[in-house]
Amino acid sequence: MTSPNETTAPVGDADFQRLAEFAQLVTSAQDALSDDMVNRIASTFSEGITMLDRLTRNEGLTHLLRELDRVENQQFLIALSNAFTQASRELASSPPAAGGITGLLRLMSDPGVQEGMRLMAIVGAHMSNSLREVHRRGL
Amino acid sequence: MRILVVGGGTAGTIVANNLARRLSAETRRGKARITMLSASDRHMYQPGLLYVAFGQMTPDQLYRDQASLLESNIDFHVDPVTEFMLDQNKVRTQSGKVHEYDTLVIATGSRMVPEEIPGMNEGAEFFYTEASAVKLYKKLREFQGGKVAVAVGVPHKCPIAPVEVMFSLHDYFKARGIRDKVHLKYHYPINRIHTIENVAKWAKPEFDRIGVEYETLFNIKEVDGKNKLLKSEEGTEYQYDLLIVIPQHRGMEVVEQNKLGPGGWIPTDRYSLKMNGHDNVYVVGDTTNLPVSKTGSAAHFQAEVIAENIASIVKVGEPVRDYDGKVYCFIEAGHDRATYAMFNYQNPPDLKPPSKPMHWFKLSYNQMYWTSVRGLL
Repeated sequence: MTSPNETTAPVGDADFQRLAEFAQLVTSAQDALSDDMVNRIASTFSEGITMLDRLTRNEGLTHLLRELDRVENQQFLIALSNAFTQASRELASSPPAAGGITGLLRLMSDPGVQEGMRLMAIVGAHMSNSLREVHRRGL
Repeated sequence: MRILVVGGGTAGTIVANNLARRLSAETRRGKARITMLSASDRHMYQPGLLYVAFGQMTPDQLYRDQASLLESNIDFHVDPVTEFMLDQNKVRTQSGKVHEYDTLVIATGSRMVPEEIPGMNEGAEFFYTEASAVKLYKKLREFQGGKVAVAVGVPHKCPIAPVEVMFSLHDYFKARGIRDKVHLKYHYPINRIHTIENVAKWAKPEFDRIGVEYETLFNIKEVDGKNKLLKSEEGTEYQYDLLIVIPQHRGMEVVEQNKLGPGGWIPTDRYSLKMNGHDNVYVVGDTTNLPVSKTGSAAHFQAEVIAENIASIVKVGEPVRDYDGKVYCFIEAGHDRATYAMFNYQNPPDLKPPSKPMHWFKLSYNQMYWTSVRGLL
């Protein structure tokens, strides 16, 4: 059993030293900061917190983030970013389009383009269903 | 419920945003509608005018687009109200449009009326509008020495402004190296140097320390700009070289024209913040006739109570809170130091010694204001 005095941790020279160092840090910050700096920091914080508030209350964004938790959606994002990279490279190395209906038919006959159009069509169909549902529920 | 907020200043904006947050589901489902009618498409940070007068802020830093400060579910119109038809739950606007409401919030604010004192408009400087603050700044820049008088009209917005001006003047002239050539004299209408007793007790030794002369029981009667004479109702006079006045204020003209309250101040229940005799009309900020300071902080605390109560009525049919008279004022005390006064109906302020961190807190608040009116802080 300990007496009440023994329960209080003694304050040693090292503790005072740390306290003095902390006070020195605060004084140093006071000397280093100017009114302008305080204004800028507060302004950034104010705008930052406003933006964060808007983002966290944005239903579309929070839903998107929830969906991004799914592995297949993360893979979709990886595939999408890869596709952008490859498309950019391909576009840079291919000659300009000749134009005309023949050129368009040639493009449409490419199996890759057809796959791409099918993907876009599936996404479009699901998106229009989803939009109709959102409007129906009045969200 | 159709909620109509009249006025887009600090109080009206906080009420509307706070309500929009609390009633987001109801507005989506069409069970509540929030409309704001304002006289301007811009929102001004009014406490910044004092900084403009002393060259510490530029006017453009005081403004934001009102629409950018409002939640997206608030229907905002720049179309000031000209007629209140409280018995029919309607208002008419400048454009002639009639808006019906179930709950009305009046947040029209106040205005300075220096023209009510002979000679004041011509002979004195102010800082309660952008133009007057810029003009005062130019006058201060030109000033090379002499007698600067500060006088106070009642009632006025921001009770701390008179003492803050004195500290700011002392610092300004000291920084320019001409403090020894300037005599500062402070005139106050009651028999102590501030209406709040503890602020008066605190400010008196501070004034003595920085060499400010003061005269109490000085109610402005006339300003003789030609002879540079400030005259009081009590029969005293003071010869000045530069006169800075905190002018008396009134509520907005539309309130007086509609006979909603004498002097433009609407009789308001001090706890529920409802207009006396009207159960569905709330009054907030400077527009009330409450015995509390006409400051942004009082408006803020009142706005929160009103928004919470209206939202609660929409959700459960009953209000949940009373306003306790809370006010929080920063006081810039010069030398990059500040303190604060917090008080309510029951408790007077207890001022702490000024410090640099409090000065920074005040500076930070100048920026955080925009977060505050958005209903976040």
